[in-house]
This record gives sequence, structure tokens and C-alpha cells, in this order.
Amino acid sequence: MTRKNINTSAFILLGFVAFGLPLVLRSPTYLHIIILLYLYAYLTTSWNLVGGFAGVLPLGHSAFIGIGAYASTILSLQYGISPWIGMIAGGLLAAIAGILIGLPTFKMRGAYFALATIAFGEGIRVMVENIDNLGPLKINGPRGLQIPPTHIGFGNFMFAGKEPYYYIILVMLIGVLAFTYFISRSKLGYYLNAGGEEPEAAMSLGVNVARAKLIAMAMSSFLTALAGTFYAQFTLYIHPKSVMSLDFSFEIAFIALIGGRGSIAGPVLGALLLRPVSDFSRIYFGSTLPGLHLVIFGTVLILVMIFQPRGLQEPLSKFYNTLLDRISGQTRQGEVTHEYS
Amino acid sequence: MQMRASFAKWRSLHLTFNRDADMNFILEGTINGILMGSIYGLTALGLTVIFGVLKVINFAHGSLIMVSMYVAYWAIIFTGVHPYIALIIVVPVMYFFGYYLQDIIIKPIFKAEKDIREPITVIIVTTGVWYILDNLTLLIFGPQYRSIQNNPLRGKMLEFGDMLISVPKLWGFVTAVITAFAIYWFLQKTRTGRAIRATSLDREAASLMGINQFKIYNIAFGIGTAVVGISAVTLVPFYNIFPSVGVLFDIKGFIIVVLGGLGSIGGAILGGIIIGLIESIAPMFMTATWAEAIVYALFLVVLFVKPSGLFGVKYDW
Amino acid sequence: MNILEINNLVKDFGGLRAVDTLSLTIEEGEILGMIGPNGAGKSTAFNCIAGVYAPTKGDVYFAGKKINGVKPWNLCKKGLARTFQIVKPFRSKSVLYNVMVGSFVTTDKTAVAEGKALNVLKILSFENKKDERAGNLTIAELKRLEIARALATEPKLLLFDEVMAGLRPAEVDEMVQIIKKLRDQGITIFVIEHIMRAIMALSDRIVVIHFGKKIAEGPPQEVASDENVIKAYLGDEYVVS
Repeated sequence: MTRKNINTSAFILLGFVAFGLPLVLRSPTYLHIIILLYLYAYLTTSWNLVGGFAGVLPLGHSAFIGIGAYASTILSLQYGISPWIGMIAGGLLAAIAGILIGLPTFKMRGAYFALATIAFGEGIRVMVENIDNLGPLKINGPRGLQIPPTHIGFGNFMFAGKEPYYYIILVMLIGVLAFTYFISRSKLGYYLNAGGEEPEAAMSLGVNVARAKLIAMAMSSFLTALAGTFYAQFTLYIHPKSVMSLDFSFEIAFIALIGGRGSIAGPVLGALLLRPVSDFSRIYFGSTLPGLHLVIFGTVLILVMIFQPRGLQEPLSKFYNTLLDRISGQTRQGEVTHEYS
Repeated sequence: MQMRASFAKWRSLHLTFNRDADMNFILEGTINGILMGSIYGLTALGLTVIFGVLKVINFAHGSLIMVSMYVAYWAIIFTGVHPYIALIIVVPVMYFFGYYLQDIIIKPIFKAEKDIREPITVIIVTTGVWYILDNLTLLIFGPQYRSIQNNPLRGKMLEFGDMLISVPKLWGFVTAVITAFAIYWFLQKTRTGRAIRATSLDREAASLMGINQFKIYNIAFGIGTAVVGISAVTLVPFYNIFPSVGVLFDIKGFIIVVLGGLGSIGGAILGGIIIGLIESIAPMFMTATWAEAIVYALFLVVLFVKPSGLFGVKYDW
Repeated sequence: MNILEINNLVKDFGGLRAVDTLSLTIEEGEILGMIGPNGAGKSTAFNCIAGVYAPTKGDVYFAGKKINGVKPWNLCKKGLARTFQIVKPFRSKSVLYNVMVGSFVTTDKTAVAEGKALNVLKILSFENKKDERAGNLTIAELKRLEIARALATEPKLLLFDEVMAGLRPAEVDEMVQIIKKLRDQGITIFVIEHIMRAIMALSDRIVVIHFGKKIAEGPPQEVASDENVIKAYLGDEYVVS
């Protein structure tokens, strides 16, 4: 079998496993955990469009989750609009917000940019916590919004069992991964990488670095907001501390960093490795040793940054490629090498 | 928030609501805001030294404040001394804590990213340190709020005409000013201090002059953390101590440093005072959380309009 | 026609006048060299042309249109490309990737850009290194990469900023041949250089800058024996008269 065939077969097998899982795994608790796992993988991959490809460190992305969640929820609760439409509306709103935030902040260097995104994220959260009503819109401040589980059905993005949610988030995840893959191989992807690595050189080669970053930001915030709607429809309760918190922003960023930002597999790998750790330690040690999972998190973060700053996907993908080479007896040839990381 | 409860109590003491009483009230709030603000400035002083020299954001800053508070707490409980005597223990302990934190964890990153102007990885690593410190403390000492009830400063008020000025905060103010001058003197007049300033301006040139830049970083981090220790001692007489107490000061610290200017000592104290004033005066006219929003808004305005802050040196950021 | 025209260009940095009323023109298809002692203002002049700095006074015209303050990426799209004195490769990417970034100026499709980039590499006899990680290249190869990237943008005018610095004599000669080849393809070249053998061999005309001012202009032989030039480089004692 050629190398390419083995690679493709592996993906197809993975697809089968993913789509077949709910048929085998009947426990709703475990399905719930995996759904959240996919959600985090989705969020980190969307984050990666800015945090990885554009080479900056945005630490306020949960604001977009919140925008998406609140937009679709308010539209459905108050105006009876289907959450699917609300999802798109939330996405567009988030994209605009993302561009507005990006315009002044992309001019700043590393540390200042990170601080500015934190300030924006927290600022938006504080504002939502303080507002009960924004004109005709009910926001309910810190108490948040609850979605009554009444109208079940696809059109209402509401289901009795967990399985439909599983498939929706799985499709979203595959979609965002495919999107990232195509962007990375497109002109925008090249421009973002160039602008992130050597902005002066990129500019002299025709790259409008600021514009590329803004486009990436708009895409990232749009996609992130979609996940906000999913979260709202899945958990049926949103409030500022759950969908817009600093912890959420940090968690997404750091999972992506540990997995490896700038690569496509990295963020997913990060989620796959770290979410189980966090779930596991919370379930088994939550009462006796609270906060243990965050200690582990922090330690892993430090170790990875010292020893594998490009993320765990670097050694893992090297291993995978060696495996492919061994099995097929061939090596990577003739492809344009898009990532060395 | 702490301030609100105290104000409610003080407000109830003013039985008449005539103009003089209100003016007094605002004046009182202003003074206490300045005092508390100077303490905020003191907490940010260590951060600005570190930020100014190493050019990195130390996200573990809040955790260092928290650790210092616990160290101060245990020092005072076990020895029963006046809180400010605990400085003798807290300052050296925190100095070495910071020194070795930099040496063991942050230095390897620095060495790896030598050519990169602003090492983003350091931000990430210090966040890891933050997570570890906060949660280890939670694990070891539990989530309960601690405070030093029977200390000579707690709850003491100074009567100044019709106003009540908080005594522990007054002590804090004095400490902040003294520490600021001490650090300034150190950086200007001593050999090590000049070496630190040289390194912060151009680390390669400094190393060509025979200054071991990594040793300087360790020392700077140690000093910054020692100052954090001092600020913790000023807080411990009246502030509650719990594992996530640092988080509040973390963000506030960065806002103050940006407001006042990277590496500017006076800027840190003044930035702190501004924040303290907003926090004490704004709640008279709006909810405390809107005051928080104002602080964030101010922060963003400064970032966009004058990122070098009120007194900062202009970098080519 | 004049592809580049600079009229009384002045660039001040605070109190320091880096470029002092500089005027020159470049004809299409020629190779103009610019030399001068270190700190004379050569790179600053380049940066004013290339959109990095906006001129304090004076005008820069490219193909008849005024380009004062036009951003570098727009200049590139108009056909003005440059290299950097201190090379700035995209180190984590392959040589081909690097060049493709330049190729995208003329196309939106990745496959087309790849093809164009490969062509550019062939012209520069560099295609054997196409998959090499840029960070692993030697300095000579990196300089060649700088040229390849700029060339990929299909420029009409190429600005070379000390592209020979750090090269061995054999490599310098190679580079001279490459640059001559580029001119034969119809590209106008403006080159700053310190290495005399290169600039003498390459240039149709040379401009000499000293303290931001033009002190000589003309064919290489004339400039080499110009009194002011010798004074600027070597000092008064060396003037033979």
C-alpha cells in the first residue's frame, strides 16, 4: 500500500469510529463527556486561526462564545427564531466584534496584545453581568438565561437524547478542521504564516499583514460563536461566568498551545489529551483534592513549553510519519512542505 | 467587595445628610481611595520592575502576592508579632522564591527564545506557575478565608475632623512611599541597580560590559517578588487571605503597570492611586461592577492612545 | 522612460538629517548602483522609496506615479520589490514556501503560485533546495532566497540592499551573474553595495552618497576617479592631483 493510501485509510477508519461511537457507547454520561471533548477541540481549532496562524496570543475568545450563546438564545426565547438562524446571526455579530477588537489590538506587540484581549474579554463579561435589559432584549445580568426544554425537534435545535448533539458537534468539528486545512494551503494561510513570522519581509512581498490578521480574526470569532450556540442548546443554561469567563478563554488557549498552535492537528490533540485529564481528576478527585486537575494542567503547560514549545503534536506527528514510512516503505516526497511544525 | 461593606457601615454613622456631611464623605472616600490605591501601586511595583527589566508579563504575579500573604500570615500567627515585623521573614523568603522561580523555570525559556523580542512562551509558562501555585495552595491549605483577627491594626480608624481614615491603609501608604523611594534609590545609586537598568535598556550591550544578564534577571525577579512580599504585609492586617486572592490583584496589577508605564516606579504608585480612587469614588454613583468596567475601559483607552503609559519610556511596541 | 524618479528627497529623524535633498533618476532596464561610506543614508533612501518611511520632504515617482508614503505591500503589487540587508527568511518554512509567498502577488491559486515559484527557483539555479527548511540554509543561500522571493513578485524594479554582504568572492561573482541575468529579463535594478568589485562590474551608472547628499554620479570608471568620492572614502591625503 502506498503511504498516501495508508494515511487515507487511517482517516477513514477514524471516521468510522467517530460516527459509530454512539451506537456502541450507550452511557449518556460518557457521551456527554465526549461531546464536550469535541466542543473543546472545535473551540481550540477555531482559536488556532488567530492564535496559531496569525502568530498572536488572544486570551479573550470566550467573549465570542458568549456573543454566540446570548444571540441565539435571546432570539429564540424572545422572538421564537430558530437557533440555527440565531447561530448564524451570533456568528456574524461575533465576526464584527472580532474585527472591531482586532483593528486597534493587532498593532500591538505580543504581551500588550494579550493584555488587551483579556481586557476586552473581561470588559464584555462585566458589562453583560451588569445589564438586565438592553432595550427590548432581556439579558438578565449575572443570573443568565435558561432555555426551557419544551419544543423538541431539529428545527428548534433541541433533542431528547444526547446522540443528535453528538453528531452535530462531530460534524462541526470535522467542518472546522477541513476549513482550517484548506485555509492553511490557501493564499490567506501563506500570508498569515508569513506575516506572523516576519511581518516586514511579508509586507515587502505584497502581504497586507494587518488585513490578513483581521480576516483570520473574523473567521475565528464567527466559528467560535457557533460553538456558543451549540453550548447554549446543549446545556440549556447560560450565564456570564459560564460562557464568557477568563478561565474559559485561558483554557482554550492553553489546550491549543500544549497541543501545538499553528498546526492543524495540534489543538485537537491538545483537547484529546487534556480534557480527559481534567474530567478524570474532577470526577475522581473533585471532592478530596479540589483543583488537582489545574495543578496537573499547569505542570504540563510548563513542561511542554520548556521541552516542546511547538506543542505535543511535533513529536507525535514525527512518530506518526515514521510509522507510515515503516509500514509503507516509502517516504514523504514531492509534496510542498506546508508545515515544519 | 470589601470597600462597599465598609462604606455602608461608615455611611450609617453619618446621621445627617446635609451638604457638609456629603462633602466630608466624598473627601473621606478620596483619602481612603488614595491610601488603598497606594497599596495597589505597591503590589504593582514589583511587577513593573520585572516587566521593565525582563520585558515579560509575569502572569504568576497575583499568585506571588497570594503566596506572600500566606507566608506573612503564618509568620505572624506563629510568632504573634506585630504584622510589620513579619517583614523580616517575608522579604528574604520572597526574594529567594522569586530568584529561584526565575532561575529554574523561566530562564530555560529565555535561553531558548533569545532572539525573540517578546517571549510569548514566558507568558504561558508563568500562567502555568499561576495555576500550580493557586491550586496547590487550595489543596494544601483549603479554600477557607483566613484573616488575622487580633492584630494591632485591624479595624483601627483615625479620626480626622469628621472623617474616618483607615489606619492599616495609612500604614500601607507610608510603606508604599518608602518602598518606592528605596527601590528608586537602589536602581539609581547602587552598582547592581545600575546593572539592572543597563540590562533593561539593552541586554546585549550590557552583557558585553561584563554584566551577567541571567544573574541580573534572577536578581530583578527576586527584588520584584520581595516588593510583592512587602505589599502583602501591608494587606494582611485588613485583607482576607484565601487561595485565589491573587487573581484580583493580578489583573489590577497589569492595568496599573500599563497606566503608569512599563518600568516606571512613580508610575506604578500613581497608577495604583488612580485605580484606588476610581474604586472608592465610583461606587458612590454607580454599582461596584460598573466601576470595574470603567477600570477596564480606562485600561483599553491607555493601551490604544498612549501604550507607554503616563510615565513610561516609549518602546517601539 | 524613467522608471524611478526621486526629487529633492529629504528624510529627517528628529534632528538628524539622514537624506539631504537627494535627486536621481533610473531609466528602465538599467542597473544603477549606490555606494557611500557607512551611515551615509543609503538604506534610509531605500526605505523611503520602498514605503517603510514616508519622506520628510521631496517626492518619489515610480513609473510616472507619485508613491510617497504608499505602503510596502501596495508598492509590491505595483511592481516594486526589495530585499533586506539583514535577511528575513520565513525560517520555519521551506524554500519553496518562502518563494510562493511572493508568487501570490500575481495569483490567488496555490497550484499556480507553486508553479511560478518553481520557475523562479529554476532561473536562480536553486530548485534543488526547494524543500529545504529556510532556517537551515547558509548565508549565501539565504541571500539567494531573498532575491528569489522578491523576483517571484514579478517586479519591474528591484531594490537590492547589500545583497552581497557576507559572501565569499566566488559567491559574489555568481551573484553578479544572476543579477545581470535578471536585467536581461527586463527588470530594472537599483543596488546598494559595499563590495567594489561587484558594483563596478554590475552598474551602468553609479551614484555616490555621503552624509545623505549625492556627491558624484556617472559611469563606474568616472566615479572611481572622482576627487570627492576618494576624499569621502579615504580622506584628503589620498587625492592625487
